[in-house]
Amino acid sequence: MTEYAIDIVNISKRYDEHVAVRDLTLRVPKGSVYGLLGPNGAGKTTTIRMILNIIAPDTGSIHIFGRPSNDPKITERLGYLPEERGLYRKMQVRRVLKFLAELKGVRGSDAEKRIDQWLERLSLKTPEKDWGLAKIDELSRGMQQKVQFIGTLLHEPDLVILDEPFSGLDPINAQALKDTVVELKQAGKTVIFSTHLMENAERLCDSVCIIARGEKVLDGDIDEVKEEHGQRNIALSLEGDGMAGIATILRDHSLVKRADDSNRFFEIELAPGADPQALLRRIVESGASVQRFEMIQPSLHQIFLQKVGATGIEEGMTGNG
Amino acid sequence: MAKLWAIIKREYLERVRSKWFLIATFFGPVFFSAIIIVPAWLASRSKATSDVYNTVILDATGAGFGHRLALNIAGDTTNAERIPIVRLVPPSELTAAESVATREVMHKEHTGYIVVNQQTLAGESARYAGTNATSIADMAQIKNAIHNTILASRLEKVGLDNEKMKEITFIPLDFSTERITERGRAGSGMASVLFGFAIGFLLYMSIVIYGQTIMSGVLEEKTTRVAEVVMSSVPTDSLLAGKVLGVGAVGLTQQVIWIGMTYFLLKLRAPIMARLGAPTVNFSLPSISLGAGIIFLLFFLLGFIFYSSLYAAVGSSVNSESEARQAASPLMIMIVSTGVFIQPVLLNPTGTMSKVLSLIPISSPIIMPIRMAVTGVPALELGGSLVFLAIGCLLALWLASRIYRVGLLMYGKRPTMKEMARWVSYAR
Repeated sequence: MTEYAIDIVNISKRYDEHVAVRDLTLRVPKGSVYGLLGPNGAGKTTTIRMILNIIAPDTGSIHIFGRPSNDPKITERLGYLPEERGLYRKMQVRRVLKFLAELKGVRGSDAEKRIDQWLERLSLKTPEKDWGLAKIDELSRGMQQKVQFIGTLLHEPDLVILDEPFSGLDPINAQALKDTVVELKQAGKTVIFSTHLMENAERLCDSVCIIARGEKVLDGDIDEVKEEHGQRNIALSLEGDGMAGIATILRDHSLVKRADDSNRFFEIELAPGADPQALLRRIVESGASVQRFEMIQPSLHQIFLQKVGATGIEEGMTGNG
Repeated sequence: MAKLWAIIKREYLERVRSKWFLIATFFGPVFFSAIIIVPAWLASRSKATSDVYNTVILDATGAGFGHRLALNIAGDTTNAERIPIVRLVPPSELTAAESVATREVMHKEHTGYIVVNQQTLAGESARYAGTNATSIADMAQIKNAIHNTILASRLEKVGLDNEKMKEITFIPLDFSTERITERGRAGSGMASVLFGFAIGFLLYMSIVIYGQTIMSGVLEEKTTRVAEVVMSSVPTDSLLAGKVLGVGAVGLTQQVIWIGMTYFLLKLRAPIMARLGAPTVNFSLPSISLGAGIIFLLFFLLGFIFYSSLYAAVGSSVNSESEARQAASPLMIMIVSTGVFIQPVLLNPTGTMSKVLSLIPISSPIIMPIRMAVTGVPALELGGSLVFLAIGCLLALWLASRIYRVGLLMYGKRPTMKEMARWVSYAR
């Protein structure tokens, strides 16, 4: 038995001149919540499609729970929520769900039972109204998202893959999704999701992989990643409107490598070899009233910016997946 | 297999449950039989309307020609209402009599008037004026009656008595036609042309309707991204196969119901026609052997697979209904241009053009069954046609599955032909 839910070795995928994924190697530990991070067009969706065996890599290998990803038995253990969502509009909710379950090898009678449980759990089936009997296009957008979510989990997959799961979710459904991810982890399932929203990743993930332009930038346990990039960051907040006064200090590249305005506070990355005390002294001397000056671990967002850079994001904006 | 079955089942049940399917399936035969019954009813009306009895004969022959003509037109002399009115008119007053008659026709007292004079007796000319002058059947009957009356007058002149004359001129000819094929007599010629047309029309309609059904089905799965979920569970080829088979089964179901109901309604045709007061035309459907039935079915299935797989490829390569309509126009042209040939092929089913069209996979699924319905087709041609069509199907499926699996995952702008050609070469 392998300890990895997903074991990807040196996969590449090329479309004509465009390289979608280059020489990517990553391992997702079993039972973990794994974030696949990157700007739009970094190759996240292409990677996910290869894991799901929707497309095949040109080179390299993908093993899921120790078996090749094109093993038909493996696809039944995967649950997938695509980035942009939709279902057969004219079809009854129950029938859609049953169809999706059958595609994953769930028997009809089992599916019926589970559909009832899920509909009740997500309050789509109440004593007053059974939305299961309605057609998809009679449902509100939020309800459709719930139905799709049920469809992803109905066959009790061991590995759940969510592509940009938070995009377009209302706050209530987003919270429900987060709760479910935690539940899945507690039940020993592996969850991998792609996102460009670092805050969600930071809160939910055990491990992350940042990719940009089709290549891996870094990966590993989230605490280790932070450790590696940490202790050079400072959270600074000032009283009143003293920010203007320190603008010149923040532009001093002998002290500050990068300063990021997070509105409530600045997140400052120190320049190599710079002394944080020297920075504090300069700020106090400038007459600003310091409210908070704290050495912090960098946020995932900061690491991301540092590693991928603004250019990586800009370039990525045009592509797809 | 269970997953392919799930896809076929979904495609089939969702479509058969739809309102549009129920309406088309159960009103189709009513519509078709209306197409068959109404023209037959109209034809029976045009056979001989009662209009011809309501004419005035202006007889300027002075030889009693008008009375004879009146009896001839009536045919059945016991029914006084059917005998036209005869007015004996001196030749000099003919013009005045005609104006009177014209006014009467204008006031709808009569349908029209016939003028007979010396020239008529000589077999040279006669005239008719009336509201029904454009009715071919009415005019034919009047002309025939005049012709027979002249003939009778001449026979009388040479001394034939009345009885003999009737005997000679009475020719109640019933001209029926029957087709002979290699297998022997095959029923009425008209019926087999109608039958051939019905088969061709049915195949044509099914291919157009169900091809487009598949196209919009594929497009829906693409735009809603359901395709990605399904593709993560089953191989793309299974999805394509399931679609084609599921929708094909819907088409087959509809046709079986259509054929069954049409057969039933045709059985009821005689009573319906009788109720409408039209004479029953002897109309027997050509009998189809089981073998021919199976071959028809084979042509339907292969033709359907050929076109629907191409329609699926089109549906997968576009992003909206309007793009799909544009992108499908080459397919539409292929089908419509085949449809244009249905009539020429019916008229000359053994000509070179018919033979060529029944070998090309683009047109053979429609043309060959038509040819089989109206004439005998040599086994070699039939076999060749099926083999070519089968090869065409394999090619279409191969091409379609390659475009399909790439197209379903490509969003954004519509691909050019060049890009689509490149998709075909992509590995999965």
